[in-house]
Amino acid sequence: MDINVAIVGYRMQSAPDLVTSRERLVFELTRGLFDDLGIERTDVDTTILDSNDFMDGRTISNVFIDPPAGVYMRDESKVEMDAANAVIYACMRILTGQYDTAMVVGIALTGSQASPYLYIEYTLNPTYERQVKLLNEVNAAAFQARSYIDRFGYSERLLDDIAALSLANAALNPNQARRISGITADKVAASAMYYEPLRELHCYPPTDGGCALLLASERKAKELTDKPVWIKGMGMSTETYYLGERKLYQSSSAAEAAQRAYELAGVKKPAQEIDVAEISALFAHQEPLLAEAMGLMGEGKAEQAYAAGETAIGGKLPINPSGGALGAHPVSVTGLMRVAEAARQLRGEAGDNQVKKAELAVVHGQDGVCAQQNAVLVLGI
Amino acid sequence: MGAPEETYFTPVVPMDFTYNYRVGPYITRYLDGFKDKKILGSRCPGCGLVAVPPRKYCGVCNKVMEEMVEVGQEGTLENFTVGHVTIEKGRLAPAEAPYVLGLVKLEEATSALLARVGGIAPSEVRTGMKVKAVWKDEAAGDYDDLDHFEPV
Repeated sequence: MDINVAIVGYRMQSAPDLVTSRERLVFELTRGLFDDLGIERTDVDTTILDSNDFMDGRTISNVFIDPPAGVYMRDESKVEMDAANAVIYACMRILTGQYDTAMVVGIALTGSQASPYLYIEYTLNPTYERQVKLLNEVNAAAFQARSYIDRFGYSERLLDDIAALSLANAALNPNQARRISGITADKVAASAMYYEPLRELHCYPPTDGGCALLLASERKAKELTDKPVWIKGMGMSTETYYLGERKLYQSSSAAEAAQRAYELAGVKKPAQEIDVAEISALFAHQEPLLAEAMGLMGEGKAEQAYAAGETAIGGKLPINPSGGALGAHPVSVTGLMRVAEAARQLRGEAGDNQVKKAELAVVHGQDGVCAQQNAVLVLGI
Repeated sequence: MGAPEETYFTPVVPMDFTYNYRVGPYITRYLDGFKDKKILGSRCPGCGLVAVPPRKYCGVCNKVMEEMVEVGQEGTLENFTVGHVTIEKGRLAPAEAPYVLGLVKLEEATSALLARVGGIAPSEVRTGMKVKAVWKDEAAGDYDDLDHFEPV
């Protein structure tokens, strides 16, 4: 099926602390996007805001960022999950035929003004995990990491190699918050231990960030840009919340979400057909784990793939050439930033992070502990 | 983006929400079981899942798990992590000393239970170890009656 909806523009930024307010961040992103495209707020037919009531400490948190987003007497609604889902939702709105343009805006001040760990703590079962007080996002990821490396007999060194590659890419990318010069696997291995086997540099950094994206129908896209990036496929899937009932070394929901997206896009052999992948890996081990689920890497082949540089910017199938979520993780915005980073690749605008042949990309966003919910998009030019 | 020159106002407003949660009979019976130092789970009539702690609904089968079953006090350590930090109220901080958390698959259960692991040096812990429940002397029907698991 042809979806015929394109990404026509994007703006993003992140930092450990953007020294900003929610409203200012939204205004700068969206006004910047309008100026890039030479449009005004009235050219945006519908807006999906990705904001989070818990992190904002106010319910219906989107109403406060309507004015800086230029939403007045327009239709707007909110997604509270990872904003890759908001892109899918926005695309569906255009597919109704009622709208020619749809804007997606996500912001999170989870570096300076709200704790990402607190946010995850409050996603846990209030009558059990939150009372027992043992589970958190990072130790859950540590269980997942151990399950994954034990399953295939990998060394813990693999985690250092994955993180070093991501962080080296992040250091080249002005959109990233954590930019460490001269990063090596040894430096990753020397960072503070959090929960074995995960160290500080295997984990995402608490980050402020935001991203705005404009989608348009085929007719409108051609008016607005000569470099449209087409949405070719999209899929979502959710598995059980209960960690003790999951096979943590794999992600069956990411596999299903990817399968749905590939089917729509007509992708039969993702490892051969996809040129570049942007995966929301919040912890180092999640990158190969999710890449396997998405058919980009063979099961048990991770050590080999990273040793051979297959996933590097100049590799056979670059994964997270942007630096991924180890460079920035504004909670819920991360998947939207992956979409924007993939668009940046496909438009040839990725500067030092640019992959040579970038015509078909796969993008992933996640929610929940150990990626309980996954959203996947296939983008192409 | 550079820092703007003017300062911005960071409100420090206490937000004190109280939510009441009715926990229902499953967790009530689980904690009642703790008074007798028993660990209860619920069994799915569809797939045979035995969930600990017990809950009413099986997501896979979309069925009500009506049967409560007592599971073993011993089990297998399926997975573990040694914690060097704590995360409390959203703040990550170094732990006073390394400590072990494990996922324990109890006999008769099909799900793994997250618990503290003690009575062993963190560096000695291995997946696949047999472990058993260690209770507080006086069980009061609270979550922390089941204190930790230790090697059999």
